[in-house]
Amino acid sequence: MKILLIEDEKELSSAIQSYLTRGNYLCETALTYQSAQEKIHLYQYDCVIVDITLPDGNGLNIIRELKEGHIDTGIIIISAKNSLDDKIVGLDIGADDYITKPFHLSELNARIKSIIRRRNFGGTNEIILNEIRVVPEEMQVFINEEETILTKKEFDLLMFFLSNKNRVLTKESIAEHLWGEEMDMADSYDFIYTHIKNLRKKMLENGGHDYIQTIYGMGYKFLTA
Amino acid sequence: MNLLTRSSINYIIFSVISFVIGGIIFFHVIQTVFYRQIDETLKTEKRLIEEQIDFSDSLPDFRQVFSHMIEVTVFNSPKKKFEFIKDTMLYDKSRDKLLPVRQLICENTSIQDQGYIISISKPLEETTQMITTIIGALILLFIFLTGLLIFVNYFISKSIWVPFNKTLENLRNFDISRDAALALRETGINEFRQLNKTLDRMTKKMRRDYVNLKEFNENASHEIQTPLAIIKSKLELLIQGEGLNEEQMGMINSVYEAATRMSRLNQGLLLISKIDNNQFHHTELVDLQKIMEKTLDHFEEIINLKKIRIIHHFNAPACFQMNPALSEILVSNLISNSIRHNIEEGEIRIMMDSDGFEIANTGYPLTIPPDDLFRRFRKSDRTTDSVGLGLAIVKKIVLLYQFDIRYEVKDNFHRIKVDIHSAKKQDIAGTDVSS
Repeated sequence: MKILLIEDEKELSSAIQSYLTRGNYLCETALTYQSAQEKIHLYQYDCVIVDITLPDGNGLNIIRELKEGHIDTGIIIISAKNSLDDKIVGLDIGADDYITKPFHLSELNARIKSIIRRRNFGGTNEIILNEIRVVPEEMQVFINEEETILTKKEFDLLMFFLSNKNRVLTKESIAEHLWGEEMDMADSYDFIYTHIKNLRKKMLENGGHDYIQTIYGMGYKFLTA
Repeated sequence: MNLLTRSSINYIIFSVISFVIGGIIFFHVIQTVFYRQIDETLKTEKRLIEEQIDFSDSLPDFRQVFSHMIEVTVFNSPKKKFEFIKDTMLYDKSRDKLLPVRQLICENTSIQDQGYIISISKPLEETTQMITTIIGALILLFIFLTGLLIFVNYFISKSIWVPFNKTLENLRNFDISRDAALALRETGINEFRQLNKTLDRMTKKMRRDYVNLKEFNENASHEIQTPLAIIKSKLELLIQGEGLNEEQMGMINSVYEAATRMSRLNQGLLLISKIDNNQFHHTELVDLQKIMEKTLDHFEEIINLKKIRIIHHFNAPACFQMNPALSEILVSNLISNSIRHNIEEGEIRIMMDSDGFEIANTGYPLTIPPDDLFRRFRKSDRTTDSVGLGLAIVKKIVLLYQFDIRYEVKDNFHRIKVDIHSAKKQDIAGTDVSS
């Protein structure tokens, strides 16, 4: 999987790059509008992540150029502005998703996974991990080929874990993923704990492994190794 | 009452008063003039009669000539000489009625030491008629003149106030968040020109300040978000690393939590300033009941986990023309607030009709004054993790759309009532004014 990251902030760019590289992506970076333009004309990417405020140009133009040539490339906009207009325009001209700075790397990763999965028309959309089989479109989960009924939030949680295997997911990132950014709910961490407890229980009931590890005070990790 | 009506009414009142006073004075002057003339005539006639008497030394008979208007009577005991003029009534035989007359009565002692009285009368009928005619003509003239003046005054004022009304209209349509400058019309009247100049200067400055503030907010947001993004992403990378001990992990966790909090704070404040700056132009007819149901669905599991009972009565959907994103924030903040401050196995009651909705929840007593509830960063200390902007944002949205919001504690329930009815009424009134 080849990803192009267009982000002018060097430190942020390198952090995103190393997070994505660990997930077995090939992640290239472009720090300027100029170099981004060159790269999208020379190479083919599965997904392009664009910061729309670049020092030497507007990221929206890159999306327009991309759409002319490579229809299949997934596009995620990163913006510090959180302005509705940018979001509407961006999605209108063909971007797949929009994420506002500052974001959790795990969240960005989950969004990339979801876009690549959706764009993978040829292959199957199922996610298979050992005894777990997930059909995202139907919101179905099978463990040892037996369907396990999960609530909406438990399903979202499982998908978030599967997108970020073997990573520490902080409580904050899980809370924001489940309830959205504007959610200002202090005791939501208790709810995460309860959700995880229920999810773990349901998976164990059908003979699944206990993948979820608690990182004390910090969050959780979905351990497959 | 508008300016024109006001000035016209004042004009009418003052002209009527001055006319009444002037009319009374005029009437007296005219009457005096006429009486003086009559009196002169009476005196002249008297003198002629006296001369006649002196000359002939006998009483002449005037009856044939002057009818009953002149009478000379002889009487024996001479009296002192005297003469006076008075208004009186006299019987007219030919017309068989009493007529007002001016009468001169004079006693004299000249015929063979015998006294005689001369009484000369002049009918006042003609004079009264003349005065009445003059006054009547005057009243007609006054009515005509006043009408004409009011008419002229109305049109002159109307044309004079045109630039002012135009300016007022411009001011009413002025929106600081739109780029259009105040297009004030040139006028020849000094005062209005000064007014327009001052307004123009003020609005330009306001607009400049507004743009500066907006730019500052946008820049600040951009500048803060990026370093925050770096901090958060680096920390997220750091915790992925192996070989951190528990103490280090705890410290990283604290920093991470603080950074998350700060980014939420920043986003909340940005949202408030965006509402303040009126940057949510887009509106559509929002069905608050649908939003409410969606929000409850979103929080369903938290509600279940906290074993909170939801009782809702949606009598009629509350619909309002507003920004859809803001409507979701409004409802979501109020619902999440009623969940957060609720007790285990508590209750939330939601009532809705076309005039608005009320959310009532069980919970601990309030530790801050209710008036402070909607202020920024005021929160009861129970949940220190919250940023304390939720209700401040609610208040901003409510103010933006001129809803009415009230908080009260009744029967151990915290009730927040949002009334969109008042805003609807103002909305209708507002469209009336603009049309």
